[in-house]
Amino acid sequence: MGEIGKKVIEKIKEEKIAPKPRWRFLMKNYFTWAMFIVSIFIGSLAFCTMLYVFFNNDWDLYKYLHTSVVGHIMLSIPYLWILFLILFLALAFYNYKHTKDGYRHETYIILLLSIAGSVILGTFLHTLGVGEKIEDFAISSVPLYEKAACCSHRKDIWDQPTIGLLGGKIIEIKDEQNFGLEDFKGTFWQVEADGETIEQEPAIIRIGKEVKVIGEEKEEGIFWAREIRPWRKGIDQ
Amino acid sequence: MLDKNNCDEKTDEELVALTLKNQDFFSCLVDRYEEKLLRYIMRISAVTREDAEDLLQEIFVKVYRNLNAFDQKLKFSSWIYRISHNQVISHWRKSKTRPQVLKFEADEDFLKFIATDEDLARDTERKFTGEEVRGIISQLDEKYREVIVLKFLEGKDYKEISDILEKPLGTVATLINRAKKQFKDISAGKEFNF
Repeated sequence: MGEIGKKVIEKIKEEKIAPKPRWRFLMKNYFTWAMFIVSIFIGSLAFCTMLYVFFNNDWDLYKYLHTSVVGHIMLSIPYLWILFLILFLALAFYNYKHTKDGYRHETYIILLLSIAGSVILGTFLHTLGVGEKIEDFAISSVPLYEKAACCSHRKDIWDQPTIGLLGGKIIEIKDEQNFGLEDFKGTFWQVEADGETIEQEPAIIRIGKEVKVIGEEKEEGIFWAREIRPWRKGIDQ
Repeated sequence: MLDKNNCDEKTDEELVALTLKNQDFFSCLVDRYEEKLLRYIMRISAVTREDAEDLLQEIFVKVYRNLNAFDQKLKFSSWIYRISHNQVISHWRKSKTRPQVLKFEADEDFLKFIATDEDLARDTERKFTGEEVRGIISQLDEKYREVIVLKFLEGKDYKEISDILEKPLGTVATLINRAKKQFKDISAGKEFNF
């Protein structure tokens, strides 16, 4: 044995160096795998919320907002959830690369598998209504979420009665075609429906229900409804 | 004291298993890899022999501490080269003296080997003298120099290089092709500067 070898053996004996226990390496590897799976799962939650936001967007709103279809689409893209999805895909990729055999696979294969995992699981979760629940939670618990999230659910868009867009909560029902609505600034509106009014959801006119009303301001405090939509589809307030 | 004959007929992997039961067997592994790794460190880094020896000591201690992490799916030699490679990189990071151009101290065997490599000779349409090879290799990018050293000097195959550098096989193949291309470009005089 050479000089270096002798020094190494001496050092090991003098300093009583011992091999680290096997379970520590196993735990590290399991932890990395667990982080990979968690990242894929959170990515799928972001994807299913993205799907929910996408399918519940008012895609025809550009007609009232005097904007182009492309402009409206750009405003309606759920950037926040896309950002989350990208972030957790990157984390999934990082964790996979740090598993014991992670280096063996090409970057694009790991990325494709991570995307496929999040998309398939996310679509499944969407069918279970998970995206809807996440958005509901974000709206009620995350300050400024609505402003950052998505165009057609932004309250300021539905605070424009002069161009025919009014949103708020039903606080009084006079009859089937006449109800009182409090907008998001607290102003009271008398909303009138008629035979031509389209109701996007059955039994939409209920006390406490938040709605979007597309129509026309007839005179101060009175709004004619061409169409009544739930504030968010599928959510029963 | 361990009899050296106890080691000779054993594979590296058997010696790892024995070392975990009796630390004396580690000297067999040290004995087997001391010279090889010292040469490898000097080939891929710009450190002096003294620094290389210090690095090698750290590498062996690290190998011993992490013996339980050795994955039997790998060759032990790939694993110990991987640790050496990582330790050299880590040394560069700490000292912040990563060499851009290496003063390459290749041994004659290597120079002879690469100078007469049929692939390179065919690609460049000529054979090289040892001195030329030394000059060209010193100018290769670090990532290319490393694969060239592993492939041509250490005699590692693609799978082993993949395990040592922790890169996919496809990436290793690409690196080797690009290394050869850079070798060819430099030899054609574009960057040739001894």
